[in-house]
Amino acid sequence: MKRSIYMLLAGIAILSSACGHKTNSADLINKKASLPPSFQFEALGLKVMSSSINKKRGTMSTLYANELGLKNAIAGLKNHPAGEVFALVTWKQQDDDHWFGAKIPGDLSSVELVKTTAIVNHTVISYKKIEGKDLVANPDTLHQQDRIKYIFEQQPSVMP
Amino acid sequence: MRKLVNQTSKRNYFILVIVLIIAFSGIQFIHPEIKNSPATGDFEAPADVKAIIIRACYDCHSNQTNLRWYDKVAPIYWQVAQHVKDGRAGLNFSTWKNLAPADQKAKLWEAVNQISAGAMPVKDYVLVHSSAKVSANDLVVLKKYMADMVVNKPADTAKINALDKQYQHWQKGKVAAGKLPTALNSVTYIPDYKNWQPISTTERFDNGTMRVIFGNDVATKAIKENHINPWPNGTIFAKVAWDQLADKDGEVHTGAFKQIEYMIKDDQKYKTTKGWGFARFKTPKLVPYGTDVMFARECVSCHKPLADEDFVFTQPLKHQ
Repeated sequence: MKRSIYMLLAGIAILSSACGHKTNSADLINKKASLPPSFQFEALGLKVMSSSINKKRGTMSTLYANELGLKNAIAGLKNHPAGEVFALVTWKQQDDDHWFGAKIPGDLSSVELVKTTAIVNHTVISYKKIEGKDLVANPDTLHQQDRIKYIFEQQPSVMP
Repeated sequence: MRKLVNQTSKRNYFILVIVLIIAFSGIQFIHPEIKNSPATGDFEAPADVKAIIIRACYDCHSNQTNLRWYDKVAPIYWQVAQHVKDGRAGLNFSTWKNLAPADQKAKLWEAVNQISAGAMPVKDYVLVHSSAKVSANDLVVLKKYMADMVVNKPADTAKINALDKQYQHWQKGKVAAGKLPTALNSVTYIPDYKNWQPISTTERFDNGTMRVIFGNDVATKAIKENHINPWPNGTIFAKVAWDQLADKDGEVHTGAFKQIEYMIKDDQKYKTTKGWGFARFKTPKLVPYGTDVMFARECVSCHKPLADEDFVFTQPLKHQ
C-alpha cells in the first residue's frame, strides 16, 4: 500500500515537472542578432526610420536616423545639411522557431554609418562600414558612393 | 457486536453504490445537444491535406462531429460538448467558404502553427482519440501545403498607389486630432512608440507583411538584465505592420501601414487575459479591432502555445 502511494506520488512529480517548465530568460534573447556592447549603439540616440528585406540575399535591415536626419527625410529634403546621422543595420535572416511563416534576424551582418558634418563652410558626408558579430571595420572604399546614395534614397516607413 | 458493526457498514456501502448508480443514470438526462447542421461551405484542399485536417480537427472544428460511445457518457459528455462549442466558435471548417480569402489563409497558418507548437489538437482529447494525433510526417505535409501557397512577385501598382496616398497624408502631418483611439478593453493607442527601441523585426511571408517590434524603457531594461520570463509589469510592446513592397530584384521595402498592436503587462489588471492587455489599431485611421470586449480571447488563444514564455512570440535582441 505504502509503496503504491510512493509510486503514485513519483508519477505525479514527473508529470508536473514535464508540464509547467518555464523557458530560461537568457535563452529567449536573440543573442546572435544582438549588437556588441562595445559598439554603444544606444549612445547614438537614433530612431527607427524604415525597415527592408533582401529576399535574394536572405537579409533584413533596419535603417535608423537621428532626429534631424529623420525630420529631413520625412520632409523630403534632398540636400542633407550637416548634423544628420544614419545607421543601416543588416542581419542574415533565420526562420522564426515560434512561428512557421515568419523570418527574424539571425547573425549580425553589418552596420553602415553615414554622417554629415560641417567643415569650414561646406558639408562633408562620411561613410563607414563595420562587419560581423564584433563589428570590425571594413577598409574597402569601392562602393561608398553607391551606399551613401542608397541610404539617402530610403523613404521613411509610415508610422502614424 | 463486531459482527453488527460490519453488517451496518456493509449496508451503508451498498446504499452508497445504489445512490451513485441512480445519480449517474440521472445525469445522463442532462444532455446539451451537439447539432450537426449541414456543411454550407466545406474546406477544400488536396486529398492528403484534407484527410489530416478531418482526422485531427473536424470533431471540434466542423459540423461533422463524430462522437464515440464513450464521448456520450456524462459527465465526460459535458466537457466534450463545451469543447465542440468553443472549437466551432473559433474555427469551423464546415462554413470555411464564408470567410474572406485573406481570413481563410490567416486561420490556416494559425492552425498549422498551433499544431506545430503542440497546442492542437487538445492533449486530453488526443489521449482518448489516438487517431487524431498529428504525426511528424503529417506536419511536413501540412507545412509544405502552406509554403507552396506563398507567392513571391513584385508589388502591383495598387499596392504602390496605396502607399503613395498614405505617405502624402502622413508626410503633411495630417493625423486625426482629438481623443486617442481606445480599444474595447480600454487599452489606448500610444503615439510615443516611435521613440522606443526596436527589439526585433519580422518578415511574415505567410501574409505578405513585415513588422518592427518596439519595446518601452521597462522592456529594454528587462532585456538588458535578462529578466524577460516573466516580463515585468509595465512592459509595453508595440508591433507595427506594413505591406511588403517588393521590387523585381527581390528588394522589399515597407508599403502601406496596416496596423499597430500593443501588449501591456499588468498581471493584476489584465489577469483574465494572461497578464497582458492586448490591442490592435488598424489603418492610419487607427480603428480599434474587435466588436466586443471579448475580442482579446482571440489574442490569448493565438499566444497560448507560448505559455512557458510569458505568451510572447518575439525573441528580443540587445542593442547596447
